Amino acid sequence: MLEVRDDSAAAFEELVLRYQGRLVGVLAHLIGSRDQAEDLAQEVFMRVYRARKAYVPGAKFSTWLFTIANNVASNALRTLARRHEVRPQTRSSGPMGAHPMDYLAEASSSQMPVRRLAKAEAREMVRLAIESLGERQRMAVLLSRFEGMCYADIAEVMGLSPQAIKSLLARARGNLRDALAPYVERGEQPGMRKNENGE
Amino acid sequence: MSSDANQPELTHDPALLDEQLVAYLDGELDEETARLIETRAESDPKLQERLQEFGRAWELLNQLEQAETAGSFTEATLEMVAIEAEAEAQLREAERPRLRRRRRAMIGAGLLLAGVIGALAGAGLRPDPNRPLLEKLPVIENVDQYIQILDENETAGQSIEFLRKLHEAKLFATEDEGNNEEDKDEIR
Repeated sequence: MLEVRDDSAAAFEELVLRYQGRLVGVLAHLIGSRDQAEDLAQEVFMRVYRARKAYVPGAKFSTWLFTIANNVASNALRTLARRHEVRPQTRSSGPMGAHPMDYLAEASSSQMPVRRLAKAEAREMVRLAIESLGERQRMAVLLSRFEGMCYADIAEVMGLSPQAIKSLLARARGNLRDALAPYVERGEQPGMRKNENGE
Repeated sequence: MSSDANQPELTHDPALLDEQLVAYLDGELDEETARLIETRAESDPKLQERLQEFGRAWELLNQLEQAETAGSFTEATLEMVAIEAEAEAQLREAERPRLRRRRRAMIGAGLLLAGVIGALAGAGLRPDPNRPLLEKLPVIENVDQYIQILDENETAGQSIEFLRKLHEAKLFATEDEGNNEEDKDEIR
């Protein structure tokens, strides 16, 4: 990041390559739309570039990056809420692809292997469980689960205290446990359910 | 209840207990509380089950798709940044003459200010040419009378003596003349 601050184009490219997947992943789960997540990720990288001179050596870059991402995502969610488009009706990606109805039609016509269907259903269930969380709980879960951030770093990204993050994550994980109760209670992995023939 | 009265207890508040269990799973608990949870979980099947439920729900998140960005994303992002960098450079270039003008104006204003301060300081230090005339004004005002007296008394010594007497009599003196030693010397 120090090289980026000193206007190195190669360093910035490396930064984009290193973080783009993680950033788009978190934003996609946060916003619920892969296309929009990519747009927002580009906005985040633009802001990183614009603010490069303000970067303080020693600050953890990922914390800085996700702080910007959190702000960008919050603004986007507010805009979406104003437009009453909080939940996009069409998804360009996800377990059921860009056309979930076609996917389900194929699944019901028995042309799809049972295991594949079960796994897709499970993914959809997990996705819905994540989407059922509030914005802040979702962000805290994503940063903890996929970025492996400690409570202190999550607190810095979200502008909250570590104690608030502790409570937030406890409630979020309680909600996830309830939403995924069928899998949680059986203790089985989604997609690994046996079909009627025991296959 | 704990069998040992000195043994610290886990909270009975379900919400706080969940916080502690989740923090334990995340490795965010202090060593003492973590050990307490482990000890309790060994003898409390309900607590053990609760921990497992939290853990299993967390593991299920692995089912979420990991984002894989296409190469076009990287290209598009870098292109956007390159355009931004170019615009930034153009803006800097466009601002350069304005900045130069502003710098020149500031230098000019600084020089002007320095000149004014210098002129004021010089005026303060330079001696006033009118000052000796002002100081000798009483003598100048009465010079005709002095000349007349000198004409009437032909002897220079007598005249000077007469003038000294006049001066001592302060017939022509102004209020502050008595303090002016220079005038006295002049008369002598």
